[in-house]
Amino acid sequence: MDMHQPGAAALTRGRILIEDVVKTYPTEGAAVMAVDHCSLEIEAGEICMIVGPSGCGKTTLLNAIAGFHAITSGRIVMDGETLCSAEKPKAEPGPDRIVVFQNGALFPWKNNLENVIFGPVMQGKLARKQAIDKGRAMMADAGLAGVERNYPGEVSSGMRRRVEIVRALMNDPKALLLDEPYRALDSLTKSVMHEALLEIYYKNKVTIFFITHDLEEAIFLGHKVAIMTTRPCRPKKVLTVDIAHPRDYSVLTTKRFRELIEETSEAVHEEALKAFQAGEREG
Amino acid sequence: MLNAQTAAPGDVIPVLRESIPFVDASGALLQRVAALGRPRRYAAGERIYNAGDEADDIYVVVSGRVEHVFGPGISAQESLKRMGRGGVFGWAGLVLGQTRRFASATALEPSEILCIGTEDLVRALEVEPLEGGAVMDRFATMIQREFTMPALLAKVRRLSGTPLTEEMSTLSLTLYRMSLWLKSPRPYLMLIGFALFLGLWYLFVEVWKLPRFREMPGITTVVKEWLSPAPTYGLSVFTEEYYQHIAVSIWRVAQAFLLATLLGVPFGLFLGWSRRFKEYVFPVFELLRPIPVLAWVPLAIVMFIATESAVVFLAFLASFFATALNTMLGVESIDESYVRAANCLGASRWQVFRHVIVPGALPFVFTGLQISIGVSWFSLVAAEMVSGQYGLGYVINTSFMMVRYPTIVIGMVTLGVVGYATSAMVRIAGDYMMEWRVRELALAER
Ligand SMILES: Nc1ncnc2c1ncn2[C@@H]1O[C@H](COP(=O)(O)OP(=O)(O)OP(=O)(O)O)[C@@H](O)[C@H]1O
Ligand SMILES: [Mg+2]
Repeated sequence: MDMHQPGAAALTRGRILIEDVVKTYPTEGAAVMAVDHCSLEIEAGEICMIVGPSGCGKTTLLNAIAGFHAITSGRIVMDGETLCSAEKPKAEPGPDRIVVFQNGALFPWKNNLENVIFGPVMQGKLARKQAIDKGRAMMADAGLAGVERNYPGEVSSGMRRRVEIVRALMNDPKALLLDEPYRALDSLTKSVMHEALLEIYYKNKVTIFFITHDLEEAIFLGHKVAIMTTRPCRPKKVLTVDIAHPRDYSVLTTKRFRELIEETSEAVHEEALKAFQAGEREG
Repeated sequence: MLNAQTAAPGDVIPVLRESIPFVDASGALLQRVAALGRPRRYAAGERIYNAGDEADDIYVVVSGRVEHVFGPGISAQESLKRMGRGGVFGWAGLVLGQTRRFASATALEPSEILCIGTEDLVRALEVEPLEGGAVMDRFATMIQREFTMPALLAKVRRLSGTPLTEEMSTLSLTLYRMSLWLKSPRPYLMLIGFALFLGLWYLFVEVWKLPRFREMPGITTVVKEWLSPAPTYGLSVFTEEYYQHIAVSIWRVAQAFLLATLLGVPFGLFLGWSRRFKEYVFPVFELLRPIPVLAWVPLAIVMFIATESAVVFLAFLASFFATALNTMLGVESIDESYVRAANCLGASRWQVFRHVIVPGALPFVFTGLQISIGVSWFSLVAAEMVSGQYGLGYVINTSFMMVRYPTIVIGMVTLGVVGYATSAMVRIAGDYMMEWRVRELALAER
């Protein structure tokens, strides 16, 4: 498989262009600049991993794409359609770009199946009955058979994450925006989740914008890894991971994987150190 | 695999009895399970299944030895396990959300194995949900202890019909919690607490006759009066008047509480939902809220000519503030990401309100309603003592004026019991409407 055209079928949907985006938070006192003239190209059907130190502005960038808040200047385009720009600084959130949140946002008052069918039913795209059938099928496909009627609070955190991803995929989105979805998981569950995510990805082929702290995770999953500078955030280095997909855990032990880690860990470490020193100075 | 006919179903029951999940299963259950079993023979070295295969059957070793090796990525503490007669493997299909084999299994010597379809087994266990649930629990224990799987992965499916599953009605859920409660030390501690309280009352007033308690009616006097068919002061469980007072008070509280809920919940929801609305209204609200009910009495009497409505109005006031305030806090407590998630999934503003704001605020709403019913009784009694012709507050007040001290205590205790009962009803209604929360809490307790 050619890694410059990620995805087996050449995808035409889900290409995201981030052009010169700036985001400053107006706060009392000095304004906080969270994203600084950031430009990034994400190909259709690509897994783009965003790595950066804590508090650098990764979530801010994701929120701009998702349409949760306005940008200060710049432009974000998806498949030729301008999501936000100087004229219209806030994108409209919608089912073509679905966010999987840092702490998870399954509705605890709805059972897993009701959560999964929420999107299509709210949009009126599917009747409840059909949505239930589709939801059950997709859950079974993701290894979630048997927990449809359980509430999210009753299943393990790894399973909750899978339910949340299925909930997103039910809407046939162009892109999934994942904000450190596996941060709170132990390393065992995390590795199970990585393979599950890849499996889901190979079946569904969406663009994935994935924020993480973890460089190994980034290189293991991503076609492309953007290493961000400490606040204000912009890509410091964009790495193309030339390891063929589909991947599994054996990748971790290959020489190429180790080389890529070595090539990039320097840059990541440098930024983490800067962030740490900046933190020392501020607080 | 050699498909020679082997053990008859009757012979496998002793084997099942030796296996951990079925050690103390009843004869009837064992018979049902044995009937599902298909005996098979494997040659030495023959592979029974591979990691990643579909987890369709569960296996019990009848004779021979089997080696069970976890696939990569499953961090059991020990990845290899050998087992003989009574060993159970191939249980991956019972694990929550799992449909594939975790491990591979190989016969080490010529072995006779009983295969049981996973779904068949689950159905057989569901026939008798309580006993079946115990079997499932032992499966979970076995997976953790014998196969050293981390507890995180060793969660087994729930049978439908066992406590805390979809088929579980709220009533049986409540009964289930009740039986848990009765098994815990709490009810007995509570009884001791009551005994201590009543005992001290008896000692202080009637035995030691402490100075402060000289005028206080003793517990025996009160109980005698309360249970007397011909009470000295005219009020006991045998007089019609007693129930009339209770009924009047309950009816007033019910009106006040329902009105406060019907107005307070929507009002609180909009306060929390619309910033603009809150900016207009909240300052006035916050100014009125701390005014004690008693300070409203004169105005209430002036406003409502009829004393009855004045009393209800006073009981309503404090209730309304408590309900509205807590509902507003409930809306504000909702994590922003739920609203964002709903927006992402294409929900309209109204749908967000209906599916996120209302259910998300519900836990706080019910906290508010608990407070509301309490303050509603509180204000009612205050109002009844000032004006009114019936009701428990009126009983207490007039008994005081007429020096009928035992009747005061009867009124007070009755208030306590009735107040507690209404507040319990609110709590039960809350549990009924927030099953998700009940289940979460039940899990946290286990
Ligand atoms: N609403 C806000 N108002 C003011 N400053 C904010 C706001 N939201 C975020 N910030 C600041 O912007 C910076 C970037 O925040 P952001 O949440 O995007 O970081 P992040 O890279 O996602 O961090 P983490 O890895 O900890 O999740 C932080 O320094 C944060 O304090
Ligand atoms: Mg973040």
